[in-house]
Amino acid sequence: MGERRRSLLVGVALIGPALLVLLLVFLWLMASYLWLSFHAQNLFTDLQPVPVGMLNWRRLVLDARFWQDAAQTLRFALVSVSMELGLGLAMALLLNQRWRGRGLVRSLTLLPWALPTTVMALGWRWIFNDPSGPINGVIGGLTGSTVPFLASPSLAWLAVVLADVWKTTPFVALLLLAGLQMIPADLYEALALEGGNARQALLRITLPLLRPYLLLVLLFRLAQALGVFDLIVVLTGGGPASSTESVAGYAYLNAMRFLDFGYSATVMIGMFAVLLLLGGVLLLVLRRPARFQP
Amino acid sequence: MPASPSSQPIAPQGRQNPRRWALVALLLFWSLAPMLWQLYTSLRTPDALLGGLAAIGRGWTLANYGQILTSDPPFWRYLLNSTLVGVGTTLLTLLLAIPCAYALQRRGGLQRQLVDGALLVAAAFPSVLLFLALLQLARQFGLANNLLALCLPYAGLSLPLAVLLLEAAFAELPRELEESALLEGFGLWQRLRWILVPLLGPAVASTAVLVFLFSWNEFPIALTWLSRSELLTLAPAMARIAGSSVFSVPYGAFAAATVLGSVPLLLLLLVFQRPIVAGLTQGAIKG
Repeated sequence: MGERRRSLLVGVALIGPALLVLLLVFLWLMASYLWLSFHAQNLFTDLQPVPVGMLNWRRLVLDARFWQDAAQTLRFALVSVSMELGLGLAMALLLNQRWRGRGLVRSLTLLPWALPTTVMALGWRWIFNDPSGPINGVIGGLTGSTVPFLASPSLAWLAVVLADVWKTTPFVALLLLAGLQMIPADLYEALALEGGNARQALLRITLPLLRPYLLLVLLFRLAQALGVFDLIVVLTGGGPASSTESVAGYAYLNAMRFLDFGYSATVMIGMFAVLLLLGGVLLLVLRRPARFQP
Repeated sequence: MPASPSSQPIAPQGRQNPRRWALVALLLFWSLAPMLWQLYTSLRTPDALLGGLAAIGRGWTLANYGQILTSDPPFWRYLLNSTLVGVGTTLLTLLLAIPCAYALQRRGGLQRQLVDGALLVAAAFPSVLLFLALLQLARQFGLANNLLALCLPYAGLSLPLAVLLLEAAFAELPRELEESALLEGFGLWQRLRWILVPLLGPAVASTAVLVFLFSWNEFPIALTWLSRSELLTLAPAMARIAGSSVFSVPYGAFAAATVLGSVPLLLLLLVFQRPIVAGLTQGAIKG
């Protein structure tokens, strides 16, 4: 009895500090947003919290800019994450084959992922520059006119997608590579004996067995993409005409520029709710155990 | 279980596979070209940049680097701040995560599954959502503009991933090893200090690198916690450079800043590529 109690105490002592930090950072802070969303804390209240009931929430529902940002963020997340999964899978398949120099190429392809987002976002701003960036250098040389990538609402969001795909695809590829290495080689050998080709190997062995990894990466990347902030702040500043503004950017704007903390917290809770909903739906739809094909 | 290294899909053997080499070349171009363009830009004078390829023979300069290294505050200051926060965060995270991962792994059972699930959700959580609450916390306790205090939220945010990765690594260690140490009369601290953690070397290294990368790259929280320009870390400093008009024709100086901001990570990644890949692989398998 004393022994068990002691082991419990040791367990608490070991896990406790980490758990405390986690609870503090995540739960307590989210709870404080919930509380703040029922208060006005802005310039009119001298930055002191004043209870206002559902006012912030009513405003959120009627706020066209919030819904526009939500739609833009969702579009960005869906397009960039699907491209990252497709390209990441291709990259992982290539990097999983045996060839000379593979190790070096693996580290070099990881570089975009390791660099700070703000650093490379600044780089991309120069690459998309009109008319002096390299892309416009090529386009201008071929057609004689240049494309205002970052000044046109219909193109700026695609520029953001491209920069995000460039940065995060290596991470997706790395996790999928981990999954590929878990697939036993004899499965492929058996298929080859049956006379199966490479396409069948991909569809009948690789993809089904990779499913849990794809799901993990999908959820992880989707959550991160829906919180996109750094890249947009530096690359487009949310412009032109807030056509690339994300929900996180709008929450930031409300807090730091308009000093409206109550509403900013409401926007973030709204975003969090969307995130939970989307994640839950995806898990329900996609969560089926991987099947071995006979 | 470690991945069996032999598990490779069948692929045509030999070197004469032009399609593969074309793909590898494409991949390298895609990954490196944007960075090489920055390097090129950083070495060019403003006039040469606008002149296009016709002016390739002249207009090479180091002035862009001189400009950002002598501005106020000099650029190396941001690198120093980021390094300080990165090292502090990494140490704090490991200190909290190693015991936690050890206890979770050895305990096992339903408790552990629940905690692991929660950790996974927390690891995926977009940290930008927390900046406002953290800012209020910082104001309340007077922690704003304090680089060491910034390590606290950073450690909290990196803990979930760190614990998951280390837990996977602890699972690899044979229990017999620990039991024999127990018979020798080693206490818990001694077992961790002298047997378990040294054996975990590669996993600890990869976790440390990942935590360091996170802290080096983190932006929204640094942006709100730090306002004094000599205390900025790299990420908010870049954003501030991007938003300022200090540089008249700025792209050469911008590019020099991106190059200098990338070099430390480049070195880190080239040195630690193997443990990073191995550590993430292991963690992903367990997760």
